[in-house]
Amino acid sequence: MPEKQTIKIDIRDVSVHYGTFQALTGVSMPAYENKVTAIIGPSGCGKSTLLRSINRMNDLVPHFRIEGTVTLDGEDIYAPRRDVVDIRRRIGMVFQRPNPFPMSIYNNVAYGPRLYHIRSKNVLDEIVERSLRQAALWEEVKDKLHQSGLSISGGQQQRLCIARAIAVQPEVILMDEPASALDPIATLKIEELMHELKKNYTIIIVTHNMQQAARVSDYTAMMMLSDSESRSGTVIEFDETERIFTNPKDKRTEDYVTGRFG
Amino acid sequence: MPVSESLPPHKAQKRTPPALWVALRHGDALWDALLWLSAALTTVLVFWIGWKLWVDSALSRAATGWDFVSPWAPPSWNPVLDKFHAWPAIYGSLVTSLIALLVATPFSIAVAIFLAELAPSRIRQILNYMVEMLAAVPSVVYGLWGIYVFLPLVVVPLGKFLGATLGQVPGLDVFFGGTIPDSGLSRLGASLILVLMITPTIAAVTRDVFQAIPQSQREASLALGATQWETTWRVLIPYGLSGILGAVILGLGRAIGETMAVTMVIGNTTGGGWSILRPGYTMASIIANEFAEAVSGMHTAALVEIGVVLFVITFLLNLFSRYLVWRVNRKVIVR
Amino acid sequence: MNAETNIFAGLDMARLDKRRRRINRIMLSLTAVATLFAVIPLFWITIYVIIKGGSYLNLDLFIHLPQAMGTEGGGVLHAIEGSAVMVLFASIFAIPPALLAAFYLLHHPNTPLANFLRFSTDLLSGIPSIVVGLFGYAVIVIVQKHYSALAGSVVLAIIMLPVILRSAEEMLKLVPQELREGALALGSPEWKSALTVVLPAAAEGVVTGIMLGIARAAGETAPLIFTALGNDNYEIFQYIRQTIQYRQGVGEAFKLILEQPTDALPLTLWKYAQQPYPERVQQAWAVALVLMLFVLSLNIAARLWLAKRRRQRYG
Ligand SMILES: Nc1ncnc2c1ncn2[C@@H]1O[C@H](COP(=O)(O)OP(=O)(O)O)[C@@H](O)[C@H]1O
Ligand SMILES: [Mg+2]
Repeated sequence: MPEKQTIKIDIRDVSVHYGTFQALTGVSMPAYENKVTAIIGPSGCGKSTLLRSINRMNDLVPHFRIEGTVTLDGEDIYAPRRDVVDIRRRIGMVFQRPNPFPMSIYNNVAYGPRLYHIRSKNVLDEIVERSLRQAALWEEVKDKLHQSGLSISGGQQQRLCIARAIAVQPEVILMDEPASALDPIATLKIEELMHELKKNYTIIIVTHNMQQAARVSDYTAMMMLSDSESRSGTVIEFDETERIFTNPKDKRTEDYVTGRFG
Repeated sequence: MPVSESLPPHKAQKRTPPALWVALRHGDALWDALLWLSAALTTVLVFWIGWKLWVDSALSRAATGWDFVSPWAPPSWNPVLDKFHAWPAIYGSLVTSLIALLVATPFSIAVAIFLAELAPSRIRQILNYMVEMLAAVPSVVYGLWGIYVFLPLVVVPLGKFLGATLGQVPGLDVFFGGTIPDSGLSRLGASLILVLMITPTIAAVTRDVFQAIPQSQREASLALGATQWETTWRVLIPYGLSGILGAVILGLGRAIGETMAVTMVIGNTTGGGWSILRPGYTMASIIANEFAEAVSGMHTAALVEIGVVLFVITFLLNLFSRYLVWRVNRKVIVR
Repeated sequence: MNAETNIFAGLDMARLDKRRRRINRIMLSLTAVATLFAVIPLFWITIYVIIKGGSYLNLDLFIHLPQAMGTEGGGVLHAIEGSAVMVLFASIFAIPPALLAAFYLLHHPNTPLANFLRFSTDLLSGIPSIVVGLFGYAVIVIVQKHYSALAGSVVLAIIMLPVILRSAEEMLKLVPQELREGALALGSPEWKSALTVVLPAAAEGVVTGIMLGIARAAGETAPLIFTALGNDNYEIFQYIRQTIQYRQGVGEAFKLILEQPTDALPLTLWKYAQQPYPERVQQAWAVALVLMLFVLSLNIAARLWLAKRRRQRYG
């Protein structure tokens, strides 16, 4: 990729503790604007922890502690007077299991905009339609916008959650194994979606599915538990996805992506 | 594979004793019968109570019919004429319970939000204990404290204030007219005591409702940039609405059935008109206050009939809260 | 970005966010204030009862029967004994059927009877206690033609029953299925495994439920008004001495204890609270203190004990 890349999110030397347990040690990696960055690695190595540290979702966990810096457009998101609410609007998130609110499809998507006192029906209609279209769900639900968000299939629910996330026009979207609870067809849909979405958004996706990372991402971060005493997770290699899968520098990465791991 | 084939031959061939004898020797048949009997008796008990009250109120039901509960029948609670219409007591129960509910509900939900969503874990533990303690204080103690502390210090000043303000507004003066007695014994006093008594109940159940809401709902909202309050107000409360309603119903049941504290602070009179600043009766308090002294069969039967009304109300509230629970469960299964 | 319109274009985001943050802060603070207000009565009542009741508390209260109205001194021994007797017999009446019915629910969780039982247990716990009192009056007082500790015990038992049954059901359900099956596999009959394996395994929870039931019954007044009625001269040690002296049987002692009008602490408190004699009101405060101490410490003990045992068990 020859063109000049802008760094959207920069993670520098981040360590995370849950109480006395150290989950991450010295993690550094960037995420480039309008690219898809995948985070791969065996389960329990701290992928979710890292992802949730980017939109300060871990603030909800009691005894969570973070060192190092995470910046969004060069601004430290953990700076003392930074507004979490603003950060979370700019950095959206899609979770592992679809978690629509028990309200109508329309209200699910309109939830975010309404927080900002956008009440005009015309504007909301437009936002809902656009978000659902971007999430490739519009055609399937346009006739049942007022049915419960729980009444549609799991794959549709996950795309609804994506629509809900992009309705507030975030700059970055974090996805934590968004397809792990879905069937192959639904998974394919989500993957196709990713290519569309990156035109407008910066995407960071956690996956433990190697092929998926290879298919959807431009960059890949390989995470692993360190061999040291603490057994905490860290990024052992970050590179263009192609390189990670064809010519990794680290032996452990090679073992992992070729399935020789463990 | 049939079990017998796997048994060693000598065991399979052994003559099996009659089943009944084995069962009795081991005691399991007896045990099962005992369990069934306990379950059946416990089940029947509550219906026996209802049926007994129904039968024992026959005299009053036959004499008064629907006039007994009718707001339009001429008010009369007269042991001399043996003519009993329960509306004043029913009105007292309704007005005190509804006021109590109106005040206690938002208040309790706020408490529940604090306990479930905000309080740091150490404070939360202590506060939870306190809420349980509040619900455990015997109602006579509430009553005693009510008479000597709460009525003079809180209810009388508040009653005077309401009388001077709302009592002067045409239309509202029906409910806030008259002056509150110096003792404070009044429907207002009963309502406020009930607020204190049902708040812990509603708050504790609502807290449990909040705690049962999946964390993923909170995360979904917060990840969209919602504040904690917006998350609570727009996601958690709608999500738990059935459960919260159930908590409120439970509180209503408590308020209507609460006897001692109310009897001690409401003044116990069948007069009082409509004003909440005046003394009155509730259904429970009229039974508590008059039953032991009722002489005529009609008076007794009328009090028992009030018991029937209380029973029916409890029954309906219970059915309603069952329905709510059923709805909550259905929602959980769909998820 | 593509050509899509920015939905926040016309908005002053900084101001909006500030406003939302402010609303957030205000509302959350209000919930804290509400909580503070909700627990104030606990302190207010407790402290007032301790101060007021404490100043009138004396030994006489526990060892003497009441004096005539309007005279100083005397105690509430009759009510203490009455409460003890009625709560004791209420427990005896309520605990076995409650536990057996809980075992029924454990063994047959989905039969029609089980569902019906759950429904009527809920209903029973929701019925105003005064209504239970009416029932006790109808089926015991009327039949026996006199008020009695027995009638009081029965209504208290009805009030305890759902409390114990529900908590026992919850607690028995928590006992691992393997434990019960393990005992059955060893050839132990069902009832034996229930009483020697399952019940002990759930003991702390069941006992907690019983303690809560007792606390509840000990504070009840309404259903006793026209079942136990009250009796200033109730004194069981006197009755026992009397039966020994006249060489009457144990049956006679029981009859004296159970078959006459009886007082109870909450009942006494209620009657004394509204009397024009200041000594009586003072004694009412002292009784309130005794009652609060008993009920609240039973409650705290039950909960602390359960919490501690849970911690021990689950680390
Ligand atoms: N809230 C938490 N409290 C304590 N430990 C946690 C918490 N969340 C995750 N962990 C621990 O941190 C480590 C990394 O977890 P996670 O980030 O979920 O890994 P991954 O997503 O790669 O499977 C695991 O050992 C996990 O047990
Ligand atoms: Mg994970």
